Amino acid sequence: MTDAAPPPVTPPAPPAAPAAEASPAAPAAPAAQAPQTAPAVSAAQSAPAEPALRITGLRKSFGAKAAVDGVELTVPRGSFYGLVGPNGAGKTTTLSMATGLLRPDAGTIEVLGHDVWSDPTRAKALVGVLSDGIKLFDRLTGEQLVTYHGLLNGMDRETTAQRVGDLLDLLDLREAGRTLVVDYSAGMTKKVALACALVHAPRLLVLDEPFESVDPISAANIRDILHGYVDGGGTVIVSSHSMDLVQRMCDHVAVVANGRVLAEGTTDEVRAGSTLEDRFVELVGGRRHNEGPSWLRTS
Amino acid sequence: MLNGFTRSTWQLVAAIIGALYGLGILAFVVAGLVALSFAPEGVAWTTAVLGGSVLVLGWVIVPLVLRGIDQTLSIEKLRSFPIPAGRLLVALLICGVLGIPGIVTALAGVATALSWLRDPIALIAAPFCAVVGVLTCVAASRTVESLTSSLGSKRRYRELMGVLVFIPVILAGPILIAAGQGLATFSADLPTIARTLSFTPLGAAWSIPGDLAAGRGLEALAKAGIALATLALLLLLWRRGLASALLAPPVADTGSSAKGLGPFRWFPATPTGAVAARAAVYWLRDPRYGGSLITVPLIPVMAVVLAITTDSDWMLYAIGPAIAALLMITLTAEISYDGTAFAAHLSTGVSGRADRAGRVLTLSLFSVPLVVLATVVPLIVLDRLDLVPVLLGLGLGIMLTGYGVSSVASTRFLLPVPAAGESPFKSPQGATLTTALITYLVWIIAFALAIPEIVLAIIALVTGDMLFGWLTLAVGVVLGTVLLFVGIDRGGRSLDARGPELLSRLRRANGA
Repeated sequence: MTDAAPPPVTPPAPPAAPAAEASPAAPAAPAAQAPQTAPAVSAAQSAPAEPALRITGLRKSFGAKAAVDGVELTVPRGSFYGLVGPNGAGKTTTLSMATGLLRPDAGTIEVLGHDVWSDPTRAKALVGVLSDGIKLFDRLTGEQLVTYHGLLNGMDRETTAQRVGDLLDLLDLREAGRTLVVDYSAGMTKKVALACALVHAPRLLVLDEPFESVDPISAANIRDILHGYVDGGGTVIVSSHSMDLVQRMCDHVAVVANGRVLAEGTTDEVRAGSTLEDRFVELVGGRRHNEGPSWLRTS
Repeated sequence: MLNGFTRSTWQLVAAIIGALYGLGILAFVVAGLVALSFAPEGVAWTTAVLGGSVLVLGWVIVPLVLRGIDQTLSIEKLRSFPIPAGRLLVALLICGVLGIPGIVTALAGVATALSWLRDPIALIAAPFCAVVGVLTCVAASRTVESLTSSLGSKRRYRELMGVLVFIPVILAGPILIAAGQGLATFSADLPTIARTLSFTPLGAAWSIPGDLAAGRGLEALAKAGIALATLALLLLLWRRGLASALLAPPVADTGSSAKGLGPFRWFPATPTGAVAARAAVYWLRDPRYGGSLITVPLIPVMAVVLAITTDSDWMLYAIGPAIAALLMITLTAEISYDGTAFAAHLSTGVSGRADRAGRVLTLSLFSVPLVVLATVVPLIVLDRLDLVPVLLGLGLGIMLTGYGVSSVASTRFLLPVPAAGESPFKSPQGATLTTALITYLVWIIAFALAIPEIVLAIIALVTGDMLFGWLTLAVGVVLGTVLLFVGIDRGGRSLDARGPELLSRLRRANGA
């Protein structure tokens, strides 16, 4: 696997299982207003009707502390979306709620028009998730783990086997496919988790800290794969506290701190001429009436 | 060793307790040995040879099993220092003797001289023989360690040993009973056994004083040869093992590799099948699952021991139902065992019912045949085939009902369990009480739901009426199956409704 352009991962792959429901829509085409009917393909390229992810009024408190305090986010289809913020800003909490792992106190989350909490089966079929800080079923081999995720998504055996093979090749895990995941290095674990997130050909990839503890070469490979995925019409949301990485990689970005969205838009809009990092410090530091000295927040 | 104490007060406490324990054993042994000097010399000799042999065996086996618990002086840690193998060997040998087990062994060994208080020649020879014996213990232990040092780095091996080490602990009761009885019957043969052992490397050194006392000078000489040759050979092997281990590090754990998809190929390619396949892999690979089964083979063993010692055989009839009752609660901990990996089920949106059904499926695949075997085999042996329907109905009924109940229970309660990769017997703080309460709760509910077949079984056993026997079987299987499906359904719905909350609690339990 080189750093050169990898084979593009085409998200809306041939119909397989629940994921098929929304697949007929071509990559860049928006779904129609009524999700239960077959989506009509509209010509509009720039302003799709349904964003890949729409979050409105999202709130979540842990005890007295509001971890997420009214987050509003719109992630356009086909965007490579970066979610940046200091530790404890609510990135992981937000993404957990967006993927059905954590029940919000209030607010709605829609994936391509499907509400994650009232229509979870359909919404979850459209999303691939890589969570930070959770374990994998690590007594399985890499191949078994990815297969497991495929089958859990209701894919048939042949499709699963073929895609598992493709993904292991793509992520350079073919050799390690027979090793137990518990014996993997941190970077390999991230890669196999990414394979699990990709195996059911989701339309939206939600990746929480995908580059943490990944070596630079693997990170570059993962970035290539993600770019290929976006080029193929998929949407990626990445949380990170590496501003540099997000600025280089993402076309859209949202800055989150203290459970709120401080700025949102295309990367160029948000950074407004300066670097994302400076802008971030400016944004987050400007809000420091909440708690903590600003020197603690300069990532 | 002293440095270890600075690390933690508790280590110091543990060491002191260990030392006291050792001293206690030592006092006991010394008292016994002094007493032996007044016994006929044959007895002293037999005891010395048998005790010594057990000692040497213990030195070889215990470190193999406890590998990973004490690695203060393992070769891996010393590799980075420029120490020649020869000097390292001497250093390790001295360290081995100076550890608590070493000191106790050495003192006990030297104390064997006390058994020969009435025999001057043996009294003089005994300490030298003891030194050879103790060195043999340490050298044998270290040789085996250095020859198998690559084994210790294998996760699989450590986990297996972590489970095996608890078998004798759990079985301590029956073993003591059996050993007591066995000793009584074998006591006549003990001198013969000792005689055989005294010519092997295990017992040779310990036998010399006794032989001298009994005037078997030639034999003593031969055994001295055997003992010294053993020690020399061990030292040689150890030295070679050390040298090669110092030069070429044993290949670190590259991970066991499994071929292909394993269970994922055998089960149907559905979400339920996938969960079942994953559960199957975990039953085979995760020691926490296997560890929960460790008590199962012990039930028949204890039943047989009890039946022999108490001369009644009702325990033998109860083996099947007892195993069923034990197995039915194993499902309760499954989500707790998953830990945060359970998030995979949530994020893929797999239905709670498929999750529940898959887990029950795998467990049933081996538990149903197991219960059938455990019920039928003893009855064949006892020639009471007429009891098969009653006991089978009872066992299967209880088990299926229990699976239904624990399918629901495991979505309501999380048990505090050791995290993946920890020792299956390490219990997290406060675990014992919670686990016991939940276990009893599941048992009570399951037994309450199984009252129909229990009542029928009692009637059948009291009246001896075959009709009630068959009724028990029918009711047990049918009612059990119905309750199982109800349990899967209710548990599945509960899982769908409460999945995110469960995950939050799992995260907290795992400190994430």
